Amino acid sequence: MPSSAIASPAPLPNVAAKLETSKTIRVLAIGSSSTYGIGASSGTKNYPAQLTDILEKALKGINVEIINRGVSGEVAKTTAERLRVEVALTHPDLVLWQLGTNDALARVPIAEFEETVTSTIEWLKENKIDVVLVGLQYTARFARDDNYAAVRDTLRKIAAQQNILYVRRFEAMRYISSVRNQPPILSGDDLHLNDLGYHCMAEHIAHAVIANLFVRRFRPPTN
Amino acid sequence: MRAPNEIDFWRGFALATIFINHVPGIFYERFTHRNVSLSDSAELFVFLAGWSLRYVVANPGQPLSAGRLVLRLVGRAVGIYAAQILITVLAIALIAAAALYYETPFILEWHNAAAFFEAPVEAHVGLVLLSHQLGYFNILPLYVVLMTGAPVIALLDRASPWLLLAASFALYLAALVFGINLPTWPVEGRWFLDPLTWQFIFVLGFLIARTDGGLGALARRNRRPLRLLALPFVIAGALVAWFHYSPSPMRVPDPKLLFLFDKTFLSPARLLHALALVAFFAGSFRYIAWALPPLASYLSMLGRNSLNVFCVGSVLSLAGQIARFEYGGGIGTDTGVIIIGIVALGVTGWVSEWRDRLRAREQPQVSPSSPPQVSSPPVSSRRAQPT
Repeated sequence: MPSSAIASPAPLPNVAAKLETSKTIRVLAIGSSSTYGIGASSGTKNYPAQLTDILEKALKGINVEIINRGVSGEVAKTTAERLRVEVALTHPDLVLWQLGTNDALARVPIAEFEETVTSTIEWLKENKIDVVLVGLQYTARFARDDNYAAVRDTLRKIAAQQNILYVRRFEAMRYISSVRNQPPILSGDDLHLNDLGYHCMAEHIAHAVIANLFVRRFRPPTN
Repeated sequence: MRAPNEIDFWRGFALATIFINHVPGIFYERFTHRNVSLSDSAELFVFLAGWSLRYVVANPGQPLSAGRLVLRLVGRAVGIYAAQILITVLAIALIAAAALYYETPFILEWHNAAAFFEAPVEAHVGLVLLSHQLGYFNILPLYVVLMTGAPVIALLDRASPWLLLAASFALYLAALVFGINLPTWPVEGRWFLDPLTWQFIFVLGFLIARTDGGLGALARRNRRPLRLLALPFVIAGALVAWFHYSPSPMRVPDPKLLFLFDKTFLSPARLLHALALVAFFAGSFRYIAWALPPLASYLSMLGRNSLNVFCVGSVLSLAGQIARFEYGGGIGTDTGVIIIGIVALGVTGWVSEWRDRLRAREQPQVSPSSPPQVSSPPVSSRRAQPT
């Protein structure tokens, strides 16, 4: 599956700039279930931890510090309030914000959701902090749900408008699901699907960070 | 049952609004006072919990020995703890049932429940330690910690109320300045309501409830000036909430938590606003009771049975969220959720009191040493009225 179908390419200018002067980047992982969300298989890690591993392996000498502030099942509005305080207290270079599923579940009005997300992203940009949005999970039953689709479309639209990295977990998981030809039922395997989805996410975020870094290092900005 | 009174009324008010606010996105959310108030029902609930601690400690007519007092307070803490475990387990089962019924595994992630299904070994330990809390099920864990600390609070108060005030304030300030909060586990994070800061509003409720001296008597002597002083805070709090203003966390100076409007750490702005609401609306119950007697008696009934009502309300608001998920967030669904909620909370209060009445009839001579009740113990209505 092409990467571009899973994560929209977008720059992480602040992380790249930070890495030119420092050996450490600090990442705040916030939002619904960003800390667990892994199948119970032993030895698995949550996606921020996987991301740390991948980045530290790829970029020798770089130290990635992850701060987890996830509360699963939180709607974006609640996270947005918490996010500002956590950002001010922890000063991250990058925020990983997982969102959407719970707003779709709670039937939060789309316009309200969009306003919350957009204003928070703008606030982060003003404060020179990069943000990666991590989208909804895939489940066959909700593949055709209008509200669910609307939340998904909104996230994609916001990511395009704001030119930020958006991890399309839904598409990634749907792809994995179709390849494995799994019946869409509640099973251990379905949760394991989630596990793979998380690994995908960690890899895509890592790729984005690494790509940005190399662009900066080898192609000095023209303007 | 004691007659409707101010404390029970406002406790009932907090319970009813907590129920509504815990169904995110519900249409009727816009009519709760949170929209015109910087502090919300959580502050009111904890303040009044501290207030009712005064009744338990004072035990009108028969002062308790230190040992008996500690025993009674620990008993209450255990009761609240048991309630928290019960409603959490009910909520987990409700979430699991919804996931099965809708064949939708991601429902299992709702409200921080994911760990119970994906890391049950750790999550069970976290459940018992209160270090794993479901979203919106975070007030009772705070209450358990506060009631566990209540013996210290009560004994310190006997020794010197001003020392208690100073110690509580010092802890509050230290927690704010250094951002100290209890960790959560196995899901990495921090408590939604920090017991180290929230204890201060609990202690303030406890101290202000005292009628015969100390801070409470001082507040009662100066009711008019306090009300005047409170007015600008109440107005400012309303404007701030209405226009969604909050100071930019990046711009405020360090220590930031002193200047933010943070709920987790009960920032001073929220605390002051909550106290201003109390100062401003204290005494208004008499007019409410005159103008709207059914409302006064309904909310007072909820307040008299606060723990039972809180527990039913918590589970119901989760059920309400699932209903909104199933039927969409239209005004019809929302109206149904609200009506069922109001009736169910009322029935909970009524059944609790009916049971108490039956019990009283079966044992005509209830001695004062009867087991401590989880809801506020009966007190004379004179004492319950903060005059």
